[in-house]
Amino acid sequence: MKAKNDILQGTLVLLVLRSLASRGKMHGYAITNHIQQVSSDLLRVEEGSLYPALHRMTQDGWLRAEWGKTEKNREARFYSITAEGRRQLEREEASWARLQSGVRKVLRYT
Amino acid sequence: MSRFLNLFRRAKVSREIAKELDFHISERTEQLIASGIPREHAERRARRQFGAYALHKEDAWMTNLIGWIESLAADVRYALRGFAKSPGFAAVAVLSLALGIGANTAIFTLLDAVLLRSLPVPHPEQLVAIDIGDNGAEVTNPIWEQLRDHQDVMQGVLAWSQRRVVLETGAEKRFVSAVLVSGSYFLTLGVGAALGRVLTSEDDRRGCAGVAMLSEGFWQKEYGGSSGVIGKTIRLSDQPFEIAGVVRAGFPGLDVGSAPSVFVPICTEPLFHPGGAPNNLDARSTWWLDVIGRLKPDVSLAQARARLNTLAPGIFEATQPTGLRAESLERYKRYRFAVRPAPSGFSDIRKYQDALWTLMLGVGLVLLIACANVANLLLARATARQHEMAVRTALGAGRLRLVRQTLTESLLLSLTGAALGLIFAGWASRALAAMISTTQSTVILDLSPDARVLAFTAGAAVITGVLFGLVPALRLSRVSPGAAMKSSSRGASSGVTRMRFSKGLIAVQVALSMILLAGAGLMLGTFRNLTTLNAGFRAEGVLLVNAGVNRNLPPDAQIRARLALLEKLRAIPGVRSASVSALTPISGVGWNGYAKVEGQPERPGREKLVFFNAASDAYFETLGTPLISGRDFSQRDTAASPLVMIVNASMAHRFFGNSNPLGRRIQVERDGQYGEAREIVGVVADAKYRNLRQDAPATAYLPVAQHTVVVLGSSYELRVSGPVASLIPAIKDTLSPGSDVPVQIRPFTQQISDSLVQERMLATLGAMFGALALALAALGLYGVLSYNVARRRNEIGIRVALGAARARVLAMVMGEASWLAFVGLGLGVAGALAASRLLGAFLYGMQADDPRNLAIAALSLAAVAAAAAYLPARRAASVDPMTALRDE
Repeated sequence: MKAKNDILQGTLVLLVLRSLASRGKMHGYAITNHIQQVSSDLLRVEEGSLYPALHRMTQDGWLRAEWGKTEKNREARFYSITAEGRRQLEREEASWARLQSGVRKVLRYT
Repeated sequence: MSRFLNLFRRAKVSREIAKELDFHISERTEQLIASGIPREHAERRARRQFGAYALHKEDAWMTNLIGWIESLAADVRYALRGFAKSPGFAAVAVLSLALGIGANTAIFTLLDAVLLRSLPVPHPEQLVAIDIGDNGAEVTNPIWEQLRDHQDVMQGVLAWSQRRVVLETGAEKRFVSAVLVSGSYFLTLGVGAALGRVLTSEDDRRGCAGVAMLSEGFWQKEYGGSSGVIGKTIRLSDQPFEIAGVVRAGFPGLDVGSAPSVFVPICTEPLFHPGGAPNNLDARSTWWLDVIGRLKPDVSLAQARARLNTLAPGIFEATQPTGLRAESLERYKRYRFAVRPAPSGFSDIRKYQDALWTLMLGVGLVLLIACANVANLLLARATARQHEMAVRTALGAGRLRLVRQTLTESLLLSLTGAALGLIFAGWASRALAAMISTTQSTVILDLSPDARVLAFTAGAAVITGVLFGLVPALRLSRVSPGAAMKSSSRGASSGVTRMRFSKGLIAVQVALSMILLAGAGLMLGTFRNLTTLNAGFRAEGVLLVNAGVNRNLPPDAQIRARLALLEKLRAIPGVRSASVSALTPISGVGWNGYAKVEGQPERPGREKLVFFNAASDAYFETLGTPLISGRDFSQRDTAASPLVMIVNASMAHRFFGNSNPLGRRIQVERDGQYGEAREIVGVVADAKYRNLRQDAPATAYLPVAQHTVVVLGSSYELRVSGPVASLIPAIKDTLSPGSDVPVQIRPFTQQISDSLVQERMLATLGAMFGALALALAALGLYGVLSYNVARRRNEIGIRVALGAARARVLAMVMGEASWLAFVGLGLGVAGALAASRLLGAFLYGMQADDPRNLAIAALSLAAVAAAAAYLPARRAASVDPMTALRDE
């Protein structure tokens, strides 16, 4: 059951940072939903890796975590991106672009 | 502190993570339900999507701890699997450790209970014993009263004295143990009452009526713990005592090892001497009270001692005994108080403390030998496991990890051994306590393991575990994977060093065994000497009967009653001869005084000191003491007839040299005056007096009928024929109607055996430890040689194939063994000579460096070593070269 829409190793950080940069504050569950919807169900975030990644990124100072209420008035932990996180996002986007162009070149070569 | 905060912070972090994940799962579940999936499926699916992270062990600290526990568990599992594969090895190791650690714990438990444990009272560290320096532990009642009324450096002082009294319940009479206590006893100690009230100074006034407190155990046993006992009367030695209260549970008095039944005030002492007999309250030369004080918190021991000794001259001036000679009186007035810490109370059993420490040392050696054995077993296993370790190293196991693994194994062995040993120790320490109990005084100790004992056992387990585990562990972890995997599983290269270490261990084992055997030999020799010496009497076939007569009678009536009882006892069929005396030999009790030849000056110094006994006719015949010359006492020696005495050979020689003592006259001192002279009518052979160790002192025997002052109890001696047990009912029947004091009947041999408690304990345990050491050393030697033979099988095969004679192979292995034994014995003899000096004080008729004893120990060790070596040697000699070489 290795699904085709599992997120490629290493891109999770990029996707989380990007989502938080464009959408602002979100809790973990909202992040999974957001990525899934925006990618038209092409990408699905594995919960098992999302939370360790969120905690790691918080520790690295890229994200800030705080407790707040959802619209349904339930307590949840909300994450937002920090300045440091934005700089990391730029680096990640640049490296993704390099990877993408590299892969594309290999694929074009027949 | 910050560590704690950290812990809390971490706990908070984990809680937050859990909360966050719960939120996610419930949101997901709701979404799935909304999309039409039934709740239970939805929930399971939401949870499943989390996978392993549901365990959310992000926390590094937790991860580490859990990882550590998991790998420890793995180590333990691995070790257990290993032991399951070689159950013989594990059983031998665990059992020998259990015996070693258990025996150590048992002796330590006893030491702890007798010596180390503090009294179960508040602030035992404040308690100090007060006695008169070199004059022994006890004081007279006048001294005690002075001390009580004049001291001002203690919160309180208390005095007590323990004795056996006769308890009367209905028709039955028996001895119980009572403590006479000062009024300050319970309040100063801080011991309360379980029921009723404690005794106070109000109860302890001259001329008081009988009042008593019961011990909790006695109350439970005799009265079933009934609360109605308060105010009831208990009869002790024919006197009524009103029960005032019950002492709280768990307080056995200040004499550790005895468990008194009743506590009565000191002022009731005269009640135990009915008929106006002199009592101890005003006696100025009867030393019978022990004194303990409780220091004030801000007063040091030295200050207390200094203060008491400024009081001492006044106290001793006021209490000087009458009838003392001038020089004794001068010495008396110079007495000073000694003050020493006494947080653990007093104990008669402490006379065995040197013996117990010696045994502790011996049993420690046994444990060392057991350790050496297990170390050797582990080493042999380690060599067999080199290959496995090499593989593990190659797979990336760190050296520390491997050491940990092997240490886990050894600690597992030693801890299992200790756990078993604790069970064994519970049994063994009770057996030991029984060993130092005698028929006269049962030792009652709290032998439940306390924190100190448990710490001792745990410490012993860990130390032994590391001791025998570390070398094999380090040895193993040093294996280079390449080398070990290339060579065959035998690990030929490191085998040599391993063998050198193993052999070293064997030599040490032999040496330690030698020390133990030599010590055991000395103790066995001492015991044999004491039991086979010519004591001057024949104890076999003699029964001792304790039965008093009514002490309310005047002294001459008491004597007549005794002699009448004696006649009745002589009439019992099976009694060949019988006598009555003031005391019996080897009872530990003595009666001495000064004597001189009539018309001559007294002899100098201690030469005038003579020991006495009062005896009826047939006393010497009954005990089997030969009459050398003159005559025995007869029934014609009465109060009315001329005064006579019989002396022993030592006394005759001291007072008269080689001239004939018969017909000479001796005066005996009483109250500073020499009394009427007695004619010597007989001389008997020397007989041991108070104990077997001391030579028979100069002894004078007086006829009971002429012994006007009844100073001691009386004992009947019966020489009987046939089985003893069948006579006991007849004796009881004979005595009961006329006597009102409990009957105690026991063989004379029992009394003698009671006097040899320490010697028997040292000899028995010494022999046990020696045998154990011998067995362990033999096992060790056998194991190492067997292993060595197995290792060298090919080599031996080649030798045989090349024409070596079987006998030569046999000699080769035996030679190796004897080399080890020789080195060990050499070390052992030196060690034994050094260690035997510790035993000097316990010996009788043996020299600590007795060469015969050393030779016997060395020879038995050599013989056992030879036997242990012979089996592997024969195996080596019977190696078939063909199979040995084919196996290569």
